[in-house]
Amino acid sequence: MYSEEIEKALKKEKIEVGDKIKLISPKGEFKGILMERPELGDNNILVIKLDNGYNVGIRFEKGSKIEKVESKEAKKEKEVKFKAKTKSGLPEVGLIYTGGTIGSKVDYRSGGVFMLTKPEELLAEVPELENIANIELNPLMSIASEDMTYIEWQKIAKAVADALKKDRGVVITHGTDTMHYTSAALSFMLNGLNAPVILTGSQRSSDRGSSDAFMNLICSMHVAAKSNIAEVAICMHESSSDTYCSIIRGTKARKMHTSRRDAFKPINNKPIARISRAGEIEYISEYNKIREDSDDKLRLLTGYEPKVALIKAYPNSQPEIIDYYLSKGFKGIIIEGTGLGHTPVSTLHKEYSWLEHVKNAVDSGMIIGITSQCLYGRVNPNVYRNLRLLSNAGAIYCEDMLPEVAYVKLGFLLGNYKKEEAEKMLNVNIAGEITKRSEIDWFI
Amino acid sequence: MRHEKDYYQKIGFKCGLEIHQRLLTSEKLFCSCSANKEGEKLPIKIERTLRAVVGELGEIDKATGFESMKGRRFIYNTYKDTSCLVEIDEEPPHEVNKEALEISYLIAATFNASLPDEIEVMRKEVVDGSDPSAFQRTMLIGYDGFLELNGRKINIPSIFLEEESSGIESSDSEVVIYNVNRLGIPLIEIDTDPEIKNPDEAKEVAMSIGTLLRLTGKVQRGIGTIRQDVNVSIKEGARIEIKGFQELEVMDEIIDNEIERQQKLIEISKKLKERKAEVGEAIDATEIFSKTGAKIIKSAIEKKGVVLATKLSGFKGLIGMEINPDRRLGSEISDYAKIAGVGGIIHSDEDLKGYGISEEEINNLCNKLEIKENDAFIIIAGEKEKAEKAISLARYRAEYAIKGVPPETRGIDSKKNITKFLRPLPGGARMYPETDEKPILVDHKLYEEIKKNVPSIERIESRLMNEIGNKQIVEELIRSPKLQDYFYIAEKVKDAYQLIATTLLQKMKELKRLGIDVERISNDTLICIFERYKNRIITKQAFEPIIKALPRNCSDVDRIIEEQKLVRISGDELIELIKNEIDKGNKQKNLIISSIMSKYRLNIDGEELNDVIDVLLKVDK
Repeated sequence: MYSEEIEKALKKEKIEVGDKIKLISPKGEFKGILMERPELGDNNILVIKLDNGYNVGIRFEKGSKIEKVESKEAKKEKEVKFKAKTKSGLPEVGLIYTGGTIGSKVDYRSGGVFMLTKPEELLAEVPELENIANIELNPLMSIASEDMTYIEWQKIAKAVADALKKDRGVVITHGTDTMHYTSAALSFMLNGLNAPVILTGSQRSSDRGSSDAFMNLICSMHVAAKSNIAEVAICMHESSSDTYCSIIRGTKARKMHTSRRDAFKPINNKPIARISRAGEIEYISEYNKIREDSDDKLRLLTGYEPKVALIKAYPNSQPEIIDYYLSKGFKGIIIEGTGLGHTPVSTLHKEYSWLEHVKNAVDSGMIIGITSQCLYGRVNPNVYRNLRLLSNAGAIYCEDMLPEVAYVKLGFLLGNYKKEEAEKMLNVNIAGEITKRSEIDWFI
Repeated sequence: MRHEKDYYQKIGFKCGLEIHQRLLTSEKLFCSCSANKEGEKLPIKIERTLRAVVGELGEIDKATGFESMKGRRFIYNTYKDTSCLVEIDEEPPHEVNKEALEISYLIAATFNASLPDEIEVMRKEVVDGSDPSAFQRTMLIGYDGFLELNGRKINIPSIFLEEESSGIESSDSEVVIYNVNRLGIPLIEIDTDPEIKNPDEAKEVAMSIGTLLRLTGKVQRGIGTIRQDVNVSIKEGARIEIKGFQELEVMDEIIDNEIERQQKLIEISKKLKERKAEVGEAIDATEIFSKTGAKIIKSAIEKKGVVLATKLSGFKGLIGMEINPDRRLGSEISDYAKIAGVGGIIHSDEDLKGYGISEEEINNLCNKLEIKENDAFIIIAGEKEKAEKAISLARYRAEYAIKGVPPETRGIDSKKNITKFLRPLPGGARMYPETDEKPILVDHKLYEEIKKNVPSIERIESRLMNEIGNKQIVEELIRSPKLQDYFYIAEKVKDAYQLIATTLLQKMKELKRLGIDVERISNDTLICIFERYKNRIITKQAFEPIIKALPRNCSDVDRIIEEQKLVRISGDELIELIKNEIDKGNKQKNLIISSIMSKYRLNIDGEELNDVIDVLLKVDK
């Protein structure tokens, strides 16, 4: 928004953003299109798009005058009809749109970034998809992934289950920040999954020619349309080049870089497969395959207990945080410990020891799970005395499960099972989140 | 220039300059990579594809329906020292380099420009793959500037601060390889109004802008650090962007040749219109040449290619008409065809028999195309897909020949000083705000301070006159790219100013022409040589052998002086030498000089020798 002074002057001349104007100021005369005021900066500075295409900022000072030269062209809302052109012989795939950078565009006139609410616009830019599958489009929501909660996970899980009644695979577009949380949640909620459910996103917005969105979408569609992967997985760039995408199991994936295209890496795992830009799939490790002759139906378990927390242990950390959660009625905590799953236990100053607080919480009925902030490797309840103390206090050691995945799992278990069962299931593998063997080349 | 001043006015000559100059900063514009290293270690190769909205050829892509960029792969060679995640579009840009911003203010002040209140960083779409993000970041930092020249004001409406693009290493129809080293180096772009009156003025404006930029002391020097582009058009012609002027000396000649080219094309177009010329459809003539002896065509057919032909009715004699020395309309049509990857075209205004094409084949082709009196044809042989694209492009260019002059971006053929086709003139690239960058509030107070540092040619002239004392040398030095080197060396040596100037301006050039790679000698090494001279360790004559030996540093200089026995003979030693000559019986001055100099030319200062001989001979009397 422009300053009050400017808004008044604009209103007087009936000028709107997008109109061609002439600004006469002590600095000179400027002709061009009035642009929206960017959020940052001085709102008493007018932004004008000159004929040469450049924007320039000129202060609205005493003695400045704005005149309207021409009203903006009525923007014809292009009816972008993405008609799922059904081609016979192509597999049916569901495409669930939830938002994210992959579905955002820059408004060339105002310069603002906004979410597409019409995913048809995105699909119109990727005509290749029509030759890969018959797409059933579901514009489910348009939310930045950092703003998602378990309620969105439940909605998405239901939408996937619905789609799978007719489609042989599903692609979900999603913001990258918390894509691995959602992929974990879906891995648990879609119990008995017998089809590929592929989450994908992009690090560069799709309005740029260089965006990774296109290749990611195309590769995801290939996997959902023709692979026999019966798991929830994430499909993103394998490297900085536009050569291959990685298909990573949803319970073993993590966003490991703030901005790179290949931010998603498998932790304590290898990718299930890699897929080339042309759609050739190369399988890399073991995975659940589609069971052709199976009568098992998909069981949708969307329960979720939100009163579960994920906390990090570190030098000088205050263990009272556990008491705080206990006092708030929380049912479970996943601790991201150090090394093999340590929290401070035998500290010189007792107030830093977590031991009593953990024991107290467990005795009060909370489930406490231990993972490691190393992310890579397996936690162990026996090797050191401190570990044994924690373990004996009732903390459950979660093998090689990622902290975020353990957190999602705990909420899922408490939301669908009784406490005693949930406790038993926490460190037992359901959906690939826990492996029995740590292979030698599973490190950075 | 070739004609009188009013000739250019008569023909509606319009000309504007675009100067791109790299700034002297330690870091790049939007990240902290070095702006002046080469990046030697092995490159990391990153492969990308671009979803281009419009092809590189713009109008031609639309007209011929072929997207030049589709399916092309781009390989970016990135070097650890000079590229980071920002260059390869893997990290958002950092804040604008403050050093670059301040230099751009200084340049704006140098050209009397005003600064806006807020600078808005923009993205300019780039469709040829030279930027991994598919856009270039650029911003307008100055407006309403001007250059004073001969009492006239040449308007400079805009000054921009932007990123340098990648350098192209190789390109074919499938893969383009770029070197990302220089991507992101800060660049200032200075655009003049298209009101330059004639080729001489264009040259003068280019030289003046270049000199002023160098005088700021804040711009990079060396080949490729400044690019001068000239936009030229005449009445009934078209706007041609000429890129890549290296030697400003021949700028006026090149512009004159370009004017001639346009005039000839206009002449051709008028004749074609008179003849009601038309461009026919492309037909497949492979059958006709199935047994040909013409090598070019034969080899294409052997490789399972095709021979395509098109009738150009009314074009007879005009395809072969010269538009520049040794260049015809046919050469232009061929240039367009070559975009598709074929070797060129064969046209009927040429000596077809010279290609090995038989009379029979010509007759058959003429029959098939229904060639009449004023008609011509072109033939393209090659792999099917390429040949089809090529003939589409050739037909496009031929059709334009009827209309007049196509707007193009052209490069320079420096052997003939004429322009050569590069690509069609791009349409306005899409520009939109760079939302990853905050708008920059301009500090006008800072600008007033910076204005005090604006280089003044008068002040520098007077300083140089004080130091060097020779007007001609001073004027040459001011215009020379060596000016900054002079300042650097003179400030340290604090002596022998004229010698420093003439060495830089003349000696080094002379030796370079003899094939000696003088650029390899650093200014610090030159300072060493001048100091040895100043301290009377060597004479002027020793400069040439020392430079020829390409010393890398001071110790090299000293080593060369020793090895080549270049130490100056002076004072008592010199007296001794002269006395020996006199004792030998040589009493005549010029004989003594020639005798001594024949042995010790490099080691003795002529003036000193002269003076000492005078004294000794007088004594002797």
